[in-house]
Amino acid sequence: MTARTLSKRGDLAEAASVVVIAAAFVVPWLSQNPMVYSLANQMLIAITAAFSVYIMLRMNLMTFAVPTFMAIGGYTVAILGLRHGVTDVLLLGLASFVVPALFALPLGALVLRLTGVYFVLVTFVLTEITQLLLFETPGWTGGSNGLVGMPAVTLFGLELADNRAVLQVTIGLALAGAIVTAAVTRTLRQHFAAIEENELLAQSLGLVVWHYKAFGFAIAAGVSGLAGFALVNMLLTAHPTSFSALSSVNYIAYAIIGGKSSMLGPVVGGALLIWAGDVFALRGEYSQFLFGFLIVVVVLVAREGVVGTIHRLGVRVFSPPSPSRSSTVASSPTLSVPNAMEPLQ
Amino acid sequence: MQGFVATCLIGISLGAQYALLALGFTLIFGILGVVNFAHGGFYVLGGYLAYSAVTYLGMPYALAVICAALGTTLLGFLFERFVLDRVIDDHLATLMLTLGLYLMMSSGILVVFGPQSPAFAFPLTGVIHGHGFFVPIENLVVLGVCIVGILSIYGLIYYTDFGRALRALADDRAVATAQGLRPAILFPAAFALATGLAGLTGALVTPILSLAPHIGDPVLATSFLIVILGGLGSVGGATVAAFIVGMAEAFSAVYLGGSKGALALFVLVLVMLVVKPSGLFGHRVRGA
Repeated sequence: MTARTLSKRGDLAEAASVVVIAAAFVVPWLSQNPMVYSLANQMLIAITAAFSVYIMLRMNLMTFAVPTFMAIGGYTVAILGLRHGVTDVLLLGLASFVVPALFALPLGALVLRLTGVYFVLVTFVLTEITQLLLFETPGWTGGSNGLVGMPAVTLFGLELADNRAVLQVTIGLALAGAIVTAAVTRTLRQHFAAIEENELLAQSLGLVVWHYKAFGFAIAAGVSGLAGFALVNMLLTAHPTSFSALSSVNYIAYAIIGGKSSMLGPVVGGALLIWAGDVFALRGEYSQFLFGFLIVVVVLVAREGVVGTIHRLGVRVFSPPSPSRSSTVASSPTLSVPNAMEPLQ
Repeated sequence: MQGFVATCLIGISLGAQYALLALGFTLIFGILGVVNFAHGGFYVLGGYLAYSAVTYLGMPYALAVICAALGTTLLGFLFERFVLDRVIDDHLATLMLTLGLYLMMSSGILVVFGPQSPAFAFPLTGVIHGHGFFVPIENLVVLGVCIVGILSIYGLIYYTDFGRALRALADDRAVATAQGLRPAILFPAAFALATGLAGLTGALVTPILSLAPHIGDPVLATSFLIVILGGLGSVGGATVAAFIVGMAEAFSAVYLGGSKGALALFVLVLVMLVVKPSGLFGHRVRGA
């Protein structure tokens, strides 16, 4: 697969993801059903958080730190609203992106030196520390009571307090997250692919790997922060249990089961699994079983996840038989042969 | 002074339990290169197996503990042999698989046994009076079994052919395989040994602490902490780190209260990971 077809497919997936999320704006217009609103809210928050996992997976890093940055974003918004009277949704949205991203820079300097299993472990430890810190600093975070009673967010002085407005805020935040994710993974596709494929080689070819990793980590943190804002805005409370260490497993599951090689993966994975969780809502314990089972199935049988598998089957069915097998293998972005080499093939 | 002695005893007994747990975790990483997210799940499963054996089959507790250890050993063997082994060289894939297994185990236990803690008490009760402090007998029994367990693991790893084979595989799989060692049997055996240890610990400890479907999470976090502190894959490191963590927990719980001790430990581990990823007993660890 050449770099050009690869990036064309990636562009399509990114555009499609942004369009799908923007299309969610019709939901509050079409429906009044609070069940639908709740489901849409949960899906969009899950998808935004999974985008963060997706960005890190571009660099072959599996992060458990999503709840950490969601907590930073969510608590930033809660504290700004409660203590400083900031209610403007644009300002709060910006803060929920920028503050986690700023936190991520020094943290990144520490943890991005690690790769593979060690990175997984250090981010897992980070989320545990986040939990303990939230409980141990009641002066700031309200400790085990959390923060409640934030004023409703506003847009140009208009109060966004009812169910429909809350969903619109969530959609707006998810859309912002999607656009940022698409812009970054699109602009830096080759750089990320080089790091994913072989970091050492990329570095020796002159790529300043550290810059891109730090940038990607900060952006992923910011996108998580947006999800944290949406979650706090939906629940009307910022509480440590919303950001538990094992909730990061869910976000990873959305990205992996949906398919980690395309931006549509987190969108499909998040929507599908939240919907499945809702179907099992009366027997909530089964949804975790389902997650676990699907993770095992995806890892063993369909490594490309739902989106990748559908794409592979689609290619097999619809494309004319070609002498080379190259179109059916390697669905994950890899460091490709430069375009100039194409005539030689 | 009496408080100090009592706290030390709590720390040692916690440390012994943690050591037994962390040994399994570190063995799996050292030999297979797998971070076993299901380790806490095997601990919980061990507890529930022992509980079921005592309650529904009327077994004596000692026999129930052995059954629980054997049950978790068998499950670990089957899981490694038929699931994990297919992607054994892909770190992230094995991690996801054990995570998936953990989710299935904990929700399966929740479905079968319900969310309430069952009444599962240690058969021996009573205390030994020292000079101003008390030691519950059950803690002493558990401590004794844990120490025997730890010593047996050391014996197994350092003084038997099986242990030598495992260490050879951990050291250099390619060379060990070329020498005729068979990962197809030894990997599942190592995984089974480790999950059996987790099950044994669960069966021993849950009657004293508590038994509920979700108790695997903190157990997993503690195992992480110990194994990172001691150096991933290091058997000696895990043992020493387990006692450090046990002591730190005991003293911070008695003298500081709250979760400040846990917070300090986690921060220590974070710093350790960043500064010296190979842990306290740093020697070459597998390139993960």
